[in-house]
Amino acid sequence: MLVLQVLVNGILLGGLYGIMAIGMSLIYGVLRIVNIAHGALIMLGAYITFWTFTLWGWDPFLSLPVTILLLFAVGYLVQRCILNLIVRAALYLTLLITFGIEVVMVNLARIAWTSDLRQTAPAYVAANFSVGGLTIPYVRLWVFATTVVLSVLFLLLMERTRLGRAIRATAQELRAARLTGIPVGQIFAVTFGLGAALAGAAGAMWGVLFPITPILGRALTLKSFVVAVLGGLGTMMGAIVGGLVLGLAEAFTATFIGPTYPNAISFGLLVLILIVRPTGVLGRGEGR
Amino acid sequence: MNARRWVPLLAGLAVLVLLAAAPGIFSAFMIQFLINLFMMTILAESWNIIGGFTGYTSFGNAAFFGIGAYTTGVLVTRAGLPFAAALPAGGALAMLFGVAVGVPVLRLKGQYFAIATLGIGETMREVVYNLEVTGAGTGLVMPISRSPLSFFYLMLAILAGATLVNWWLSASRFGYGLIAIREDEDAAGAMGINAPLYKTIAFALSGTFAGLAGGVFAYWITFIDPDAVFKMSTTVQMIIMAVFGGSGTVLGPLLGAFLLSSVSEVLATQLATLAELFYGVIIVLVVLFMPKGLFDLIRRREFSFKYFARNLRENRI
Repeated sequence: MLVLQVLVNGILLGGLYGIMAIGMSLIYGVLRIVNIAHGALIMLGAYITFWTFTLWGWDPFLSLPVTILLLFAVGYLVQRCILNLIVRAALYLTLLITFGIEVVMVNLARIAWTSDLRQTAPAYVAANFSVGGLTIPYVRLWVFATTVVLSVLFLLLMERTRLGRAIRATAQELRAARLTGIPVGQIFAVTFGLGAALAGAAGAMWGVLFPITPILGRALTLKSFVVAVLGGLGTMMGAIVGGLVLGLAEAFTATFIGPTYPNAISFGLLVLILIVRPTGVLGRGEGR
Repeated sequence: MNARRWVPLLAGLAVLVLLAAAPGIFSAFMIQFLINLFMMTILAESWNIIGGFTGYTSFGNAAFFGIGAYTTGVLVTRAGLPFAAALPAGGALAMLFGVAVGVPVLRLKGQYFAIATLGIGETMREVVYNLEVTGAGTGLVMPISRSPLSFFYLMLAILAGATLVNWWLSASRFGYGLIAIREDEDAAGAMGINAPLYKTIAFALSGTFAGLAGGVFAYWITFIDPDAVFKMSTTVQMIIMAVFGGSGTVLGPLLGAFLLSSVSEVLATQLATLAELFYGVIIVLVVLFMPKGLFDLIRRREFSFKYFARNLRENRI
């Protein structure tokens, strides 16, 4: 029974990891940038939701569209005003600049909101129900359902719309895309915005499940990367599967090894996967 | 070897002698500042070996620093070893770690290497959190040393060693091999350079100096915990100091560490957050406007708006 409970917990959390990683994977797939500021965007989403809930009493799930829009705007501007200027530079420079952006965002958050632990705690946060001996908190289920909806919407956007086609074309062959009249600078900005929006949505829900601080994103950047690499960087479906795998791995470690071990396990897993199969467990193509 | 090559070495020696005389002149506060400055310079130079000369952007060099600090700390407090024996052990373990981790990880290219090292840094912190012998999350308290000046001279000695190694890399067969690997690894291999061996040695060297600095830091600061020595911001500082000054050069990291440490020290007296914020802003500006570093700017003697504008144009979409 315990095993089953852990399994359910893992899957429910895995959905959240999944949408974090979709954002990471999308940005890498199109821009070839490993976005170290991803976790900072997650943090920003978490705080926006926390404040709209605390100050105005907005429900964290119903305010998701607002958070998503705001984060899209932030991401769009970051790419448009900063990253587009550097996108063709050597890899360590693009890594470094996202690192710099992360440091700026985290420390601004520290100054604005202090380092206190906070949590978005609507009235129903502790409510749960039981099915056949399993205890499932409602919020976890809603978070999972929301991540499924967001993933589906995102996949539809990528597969079925003109915008999605333009993004995919830009990812495949930048020059050809430009020749066919796609405004690639614009597409880059929109892509980063979409990645940021997914990160923000993940953060909004993270803040309902766990306490938040300005540095919560550091570990989540790495976890997003673990998941994205698990599924193969640049692939969207892989990120979802990877999210579930990480969620399960963490849930089982926390229960059967010790509550302080999940981070060690997931970062260790990252290093291991990179060494053994850098193109991802599900991925293929270029690697070392 | 002609005489010209000895000029920088002699100049370095002169600076060293001057610095060694510093405790006689400066206040105790200044000495503490200098110890910190030396440490940051050692770290910038240690990163420069792997990130600057070899072109492998390590985002986990804080792991070496932490390993050095914890090895020294554990050996002194748990095994009762004298500091003089524990410090070299810290450096040696950091070196071994560099070899052990370097062999598999240095096979990775570009972003995969960067993220793998980032993961290693974070993994080490989590591991130390979970170990009994390291005092887990509570950390280690070291005995207080009676002579603070010994830290000054120790750091200075390690700094001299690190600078010497950087200088040697800039003018030796081995160093040229590393630069060749940075410029084009396949071509370097075709020229007969044993790239895996070269890279591993560079990584281990980088680790040794960071480890030694960590060991001295532990004894100097007398209290270490996982968050303090496995800090991602330590890695960020190393990188930005090296890049700001000019990575892959001898003087660049020295220059970068000196300038940035001084400013951040002043800011940190106001608010620690401010100092970190400053690093973040500097990183963004440096990457945008002078990715080749101050050293390149000085060498070209092109102190005009055009230089920055050209850098900005170069990598735009």
